[in-house]
Amino acid sequence: MTAAARRCTIVPPFVLDRLAEQGHEAARTSLALDTLHRESRLATALPPPPPAHHLTRTIGDARHGRRLPGRTVRAEGGPATADATVNRAYDGLGATFELFEQVYGRHSIDGAWLPLDATVHYGVDYDNAFWDGSRMVFGDGDGEIFVDFTSCLDVIGHELAHGVTQYTAGLDYQGQSGALNESLSDVFGSLVKQYALGQSSDRADWLIGAGLLAPGVHGVALRSMKDPGTAYDDERLGKDPQPAHMDGYVDTADDNGGVHINSGIPNHAFYLLATALGGPAWERAGQVWYDTVTGGHLAHDAGFADFARATAAAALARYDRTAADTVTAAWSQVGISATG
Amino acid sequence: MRIQVTRTGGLAGRVQRAELDTSERRDAPHVHALAREAVAGGLRAPSYGVPDGFHYEITVDGRTVYCADPKLTDSQQELVSLVLREGE
Repeated sequence: MTAAARRCTIVPPFVLDRLAEQGHEAARTSLALDTLHRESRLATALPPPPPAHHLTRTIGDARHGRRLPGRTVRAEGGPATADATVNRAYDGLGATFELFEQVYGRHSIDGAWLPLDATVHYGVDYDNAFWDGSRMVFGDGDGEIFVDFTSCLDVIGHELAHGVTQYTAGLDYQGQSGALNESLSDVFGSLVKQYALGQSSDRADWLIGAGLLAPGVHGVALRSMKDPGTAYDDERLGKDPQPAHMDGYVDTADDNGGVHINSGIPNHAFYLLATALGGPAWERAGQVWYDTVTGGHLAHDAGFADFARATAAAALARYDRTAADTVTAAWSQVGISATG
Repeated sequence: MRIQVTRTGGLAGRVQRAELDTSERRDAPHVHALAREAVAGGLRAPSYGVPDGFHYEITVDGRTVYCADPKLTDSQQELVSLVLREGE
């Protein structure tokens, strides 16, 4: 059965809606999945890529509204503008493209020169950045808890990496597969920054969103791959809830099953692997993760253990038994068996 | 009218909850209209939205609907902003 066929549903949504209203639990579940699939169908219905075999960036300005894509304010090759936010988004797209092109030989996020588009100044005091299936969208932050979401190169890389995952492993954005989807974005987001700065794994800060917290907020970033759970502890923001080990896995219905919480576990496994291997993290550790996500062997609903096994297999295929054993040891330290 | 909004997800994965009681508000008729429109345009089951997008749960007098960025209607947008800003 093809992926498209799997996503087609036979029971019309309005019937499920009716059943769900009457308290039918299975109908509720189906309806939730149906909504997900409908959205993922919409998300993958993208226009065909142009023939241009080079980086093509376009930055739109939503001017504090919510209409996408907004007015085009900088296109590929255009001069820098007076708006630093526009220029940071433009440069961040370029840095992300560079990592995938230079290190992994991937031509843009879809591997087929997809133009990279972003919209800045989305909404009013909007405290977020997201990937909408075809573009990155950045808010300015409210200035009290968060500042401009284009401030961090790893956040820009994080959003675009969601695009890479969408075009490759297509990990469902819920539960463990969702936490893996999130973790892959943190891993490649951090690698974009490390590659741009030329930092080896022992010099990198391994933080996601360093510089994103407004002055006065007690914290250093949104997440720490080196030490999950320690990025912030603030009266308004709360405490960083990320676990670093399966012992601390959080079962919750919020946030699609805690996708931004439990991502701390695979994040930390990657950090442990990269530092055990030494040198630049984008080289061997990054290559193993890249091979895993693009290898075509990962199910869309893969869990942590499935992913761990796939990384060990990728390390053996690309390198050798020693590398595979190092991968297995990294997962073991976060409480996940890559050999089971 | 009691309106509760829960916002989850987002790049930071934060959970924010707030409740607004309209009984003492001068703009209650406007807020009531907003709430009715927001509920009418909502989904009856949670949506998984887009990666890093915010998810909203809106409860008006005990009836709950769901919506997610970037597909909020204008009424949903105005309502969730109001409740998260001015609710307790």
